[in-house]
Amino acid sequence: MNGSRRLQQSAYHLGLWLVAIIFFLPIFWVVLNAFKSRRDILAVPPQLAFTPTLDNFRDLFARETFAPYMTASVTMSVAAVLIAIAVAFLASYSFSRFKPRGTDFLMFLLLSVRMVPAAAVVIPIYMMYNLVGWREDWLGMTLFYAMFSIPFSVWILKGFIDGVSERYDETALVNGGSRFHVVFKVILPQVKPGLVASFIFNLIFVWNDFLFSFMLGGRTTSMIPVLLSTGLYADGGVDWPFISALTGIYVLPPVIVVFLFQRFLLVGMTFGTVRGEV
Amino acid sequence: MRVRRFIERPRVFALLLIAPALIFFFVWNIIPVLTLIGVSFYNYSMVTGMPPRYIGLGNYEDIVYSFRLWESFGRTLSWVVVTVGIETVLGIAIGILFWGSVRLPGRRLALTLLFTPMLMTPLAAGIFFRLMYEPSIGIINYVTRWAGLGTFSFLSDRSLAFAAVVFVDVWMWTPFMVLITLAALGSVPKAELEAAEVDRLPWWRRLVTVVLPHAKFILMIGILLRTIESFKTMDLVFNMTGGGPGTTTELVALTLWRRAFEAFNLGWSSALAFILLLMAIAFTSIFLFVLNLRRRQQEREASA
Repeated sequence: MNGSRRLQQSAYHLGLWLVAIIFFLPIFWVVLNAFKSRRDILAVPPQLAFTPTLDNFRDLFARETFAPYMTASVTMSVAAVLIAIAVAFLASYSFSRFKPRGTDFLMFLLLSVRMVPAAAVVIPIYMMYNLVGWREDWLGMTLFYAMFSIPFSVWILKGFIDGVSERYDETALVNGGSRFHVVFKVILPQVKPGLVASFIFNLIFVWNDFLFSFMLGGRTTSMIPVLLSTGLYADGGVDWPFISALTGIYVLPPVIVVFLFQRFLLVGMTFGTVRGEV
Repeated sequence: MRVRRFIERPRVFALLLIAPALIFFFVWNIIPVLTLIGVSFYNYSMVTGMPPRYIGLGNYEDIVYSFRLWESFGRTLSWVVVTVGIETVLGIAIGILFWGSVRLPGRRLALTLLFTPMLMTPLAAGIFFRLMYEPSIGIINYVTRWAGLGTFSFLSDRSLAFAAVVFVDVWMWTPFMVLITLAALGSVPKAELEAAEVDRLPWWRRLVTVVLPHAKFILMIGILLRTIESFKTMDLVFNMTGGGPGTTTELVALTLWRRAFEAFNLGWSSALAFILLLMAIAFTSIFLFVLNLRRRQQEREASA
């Protein structure tokens, strides 16, 4: 490679990094604000140089609302997605191998549930939960989120199971394996990437949900986004130090997960309908 | 032993595996939808404490004549067209830019930074942009003042609020179209690209004759998914503008939420929710139609 080509490539790479950084800038600003004192956040002109402080975080952890909301966020999203994946894996194996009558129609219905505006979904569930007494209930909420995570998991996992040759099933059956053996010992290990993809994607979705949590969860079963909305105002103004610290903490887990599992992002974001390298 | 043999029968086994999913589907989808349809025929408000009263198609009639709702539908339509349009153009441009980036140092970190906006809680993004749009202390106004453009109260100015919200949505979801574009470009066979290179086609002819035919389906899937998501937007504006000033940023999902949970007019809201459900089913059909087109094309290519 000669000098001018190398220079050209460096400029190109610099440009790419610049684009990435521009998109990241607002989030960087959030994180920066989390380390500022209230005075620095509200300072005119906005401060780039300031004395970093951990007071916002200390404040946040000391609030009695933080721990229960955070616990709810973590336990509900993980439990719901795990339940959903278990249910979806079994169903998608059946869809893929036995193709029972109505498979296509059911897959279609499952998908359309996720295409409806959240407020439309929450209205009947709200009435139903009121009636049964599942509102403000950990299990009720978790099962609801599980239901919400099933459609995409089925779509993602069916794609992966379709990709595993049926010869594996036949060989195992001929050699005297039971059907359960086929499902759990032969197929399951081969669709691990699909399991990871559906786990990550649905986790991010549940993690970021606000509306369902707000309408259906009570004080003990609401997640952090609700706290962001209800804790927005304090002392007659917006409580920016609190919001900044909380947002900064809350965006971290998804970012780490996507950094570690980047190749699954595409599969997840398109419900398994698009696969390929990025 | 007999139980085992019974379970091993294909039909029984197939049903056994689907059963949990069907239970979920029945309890959380079928029953709620039936409830929704049922309630939509009633005048049912949770505020008045009156028992629900059957009014037939009254709610639907009211919806048809509700000017404010049609306005909100119109606004949502322009919202979808504008956001998805900008995101698609920008996303494809950036995606093409990133196409040859295999040797970019720290590529994984750069892509993670680029994709971060869509991982942020939409509600939090909305709240935070409020701070950044703030006329006196917001950083965006600091920049506009520095550039000599003056101060704007983005979120309380009727002529600016919609554009300001569009900007945030574009920031959040352009990365998604970049992701889709990268996948679409990845699906173009290397051999055809090399052939085009050998033929010395100019870059735009390469794009139109070689890249587009292969990339178009994945791009279409991406655009459709964005359209559907954009139609559902609500968390983003919930705390950023709350639909205001006036109703300039009130999208249909927010209108529905307000009628249901601020006015607690559940009959009317159920009727609207049912209409939105039908629209979602229509969207999904289009989505699946495109998906099947793609599958058929792939099969044709495989057999050719």
